[in-house]
Amino acid sequence: MKIFGRSSVILATLLVTALTISGCGSGGGSATVKELSGAGATFPYPLYSKMFDTYDGVTGVRVNYNSIGSGGGIKALTDKTVDFGASDAFLNDQEEAAMGAPVLHIPTCVGAVVLSYNLDGSPSLKLDGSVTANIFLGTVTKWNDPSIAKLNPGVSLPDLTITVVHRSDGSGTTSIFTNYLAAVSTAWKAAVGAGKSVSWPAGVGGKGNDGVAGMITQTKGSIGYIELVYAVQTGIPFTSLKNASGTFVAPSLTSSAAAAAVSLPDDLRVVIVNSPGADAYPISAFTWILVYKEQNYAGRTLAQAQALKKLLTWILTDGQAVNEGLSYARLPGAAVTRALALVSSMTYGGTAIP
Amino acid sequence: MAVQPSHSDRRELVRERAFTAAGLTAAIALVTTIVLFLVQLFVTSRASRAAFGLPFLWRSEWNPVTEQFGALPMVVGTLITGFGALLISTPFALGIAIFLADYAGKKVAEPVKYLIGLLGGLPSVIFGLWGLFVLVPLVSKFEVWFGKLVGSESLVASGTTGVGLLAAILLLAIMILPFSASLILESLLVVPTELKEGALALGATKWDTIQNVELPYVRRSTVGALVLSLGRALGETMAVTMVIGNGMRLPHSLFDPANTLASAIANQFLEATSPVYIASLVQLALILFVIAIIINIVARIILRRGVQQ
Repeated sequence: MKIFGRSSVILATLLVTALTISGCGSGGGSATVKELSGAGATFPYPLYSKMFDTYDGVTGVRVNYNSIGSGGGIKALTDKTVDFGASDAFLNDQEEAAMGAPVLHIPTCVGAVVLSYNLDGSPSLKLDGSVTANIFLGTVTKWNDPSIAKLNPGVSLPDLTITVVHRSDGSGTTSIFTNYLAAVSTAWKAAVGAGKSVSWPAGVGGKGNDGVAGMITQTKGSIGYIELVYAVQTGIPFTSLKNASGTFVAPSLTSSAAAAAVSLPDDLRVVIVNSPGADAYPISAFTWILVYKEQNYAGRTLAQAQALKKLLTWILTDGQAVNEGLSYARLPGAAVTRALALVSSMTYGGTAIP
Repeated sequence: MAVQPSHSDRRELVRERAFTAAGLTAAIALVTTIVLFLVQLFVTSRASRAAFGLPFLWRSEWNPVTEQFGALPMVVGTLITGFGALLISTPFALGIAIFLADYAGKKVAEPVKYLIGLLGGLPSVIFGLWGLFVLVPLVSKFEVWFGKLVGSESLVASGTTGVGLLAAILLLAIMILPFSASLILESLLVVPTELKEGALALGATKWDTIQNVELPYVRRSTVGALVLSLGRALGETMAVTMVIGNGMRLPHSLFDPANTLASAIANQFLEATSPVYIASLVQLALILFVIAIIINIVARIILRRGVQQ
């Protein structure tokens, strides 16, 4: 019984620890805010972690960012458990209504989605919107299809089945890509539509950018969409795309930033795919940080609101220097101006935050 | 240590009470957790039932854009991969267990047992990576060979990626093998020596003994082992996601991309925002839960019948 006795004490201790540990809460706000928290999209996570690290060094304010996905970020902001959420797709009216209060969309960078492929010899390829849509609809099934050959004179295309690879997880990348397809192809818009997760008419799904990239590198004749950052880092070939003004544009930081250099609405809730700019890469999009316009909620202090405003302003100004080093395009000047106007429109108790 | 008997007795009593209380708390906590699971799943999935009702089970459309959801492709994918894996791995598991229990010497059995344990403890993402980089290309070659053999263009219509139901079944079969093999082995090892020796003394061959004494003796625990393995196969998420192709349509052949309940939830939950979408994913979890319960009940019935015989 001696042994039983000792283990009973250990067991009881363990149980008590397990039961109490879950009850830990976070401390209340203090006069000087040293910590902010955010949650959401995974796509800008590398950018945000670098930005917030730099910000900590400059100001001594730590920002905890959990890349739990846009859905989780929106939920966390709705539940008011974070200072800001982050999302790759802007809230639709129904989602914004569910938030209970007006939400501001602050863009932080421009991301681009590229079409990567696996063909022997990696010939450089050009595609346009309707051919891309037809490939992903499953109506163009061979690489030597006349519609592809017409766009690529001089390239010898193999008689090979096209394997479409798409994301299996819900993602902002998919949202950007399907928004593009819906913008350039009425057939796609009618049959599939756009969203973070759609009902794919063809192909196989890989989880995450790495899942899709892995499937592409393994399968001859495959084509799939991944983020520009990821394609650059892994060195997978990608296509040029014909943009709205009829030029073939290779994806790059400059060409995706050019997509955002168009006339923008004041609230910056805008899809910039198939942008009319002459040098614009057509599959480009903003990613946003979401905050409540009125900051006096759930017992928040003025100091917290000020700290958040300061962070957002920094991201839009000095913080933009971080973008290009990590292959995220900077926001064009006009977008920064509008975004800063949105940040200054934040209020605390109905008055502007000093 | 010389302690006064009365003092020792009292300490013993306190310890015993503390232990009983701790044990009871743990037991209650477990039951409560399971009940709360079910309640939570049921409540969170209400919007889905309100929108689609019972037909959710046999609808085969899964379209987040139009918000039309049905569970059939994932239910089919889960059952086919789970039972397929069980079908393939069971003969191997039995073979391994019988070999290690009755044929292999200690020098062979011990290291092999250790390796099986190691294999069973490998994180599933490692199986997934191995599956994606080694198994999938092999399946792809087989797919092409098979397509040519039967002269069917449609069999390889999904392209020759190698990902799909077949790859998932094979990977799951390998993943659950260490579980079923070691569980069956454990029960074979406790077959009383008298029974085996008795059979041998009656002139039975080694094979007769295995067939007529050992296997009937371990039938119960074998079914138990298989149910546990099936449970793991049905719930496996990460590795399956990496090789099954994540198609949300009803598969038409073993080479088609498909999806399982667990894999669909893991893939889509994070970025799901609309209430009906989230509720439908939770509904999938509820269905998986119910499938697991049904399988356990059926296994129990089989076991009880086995005992009565």
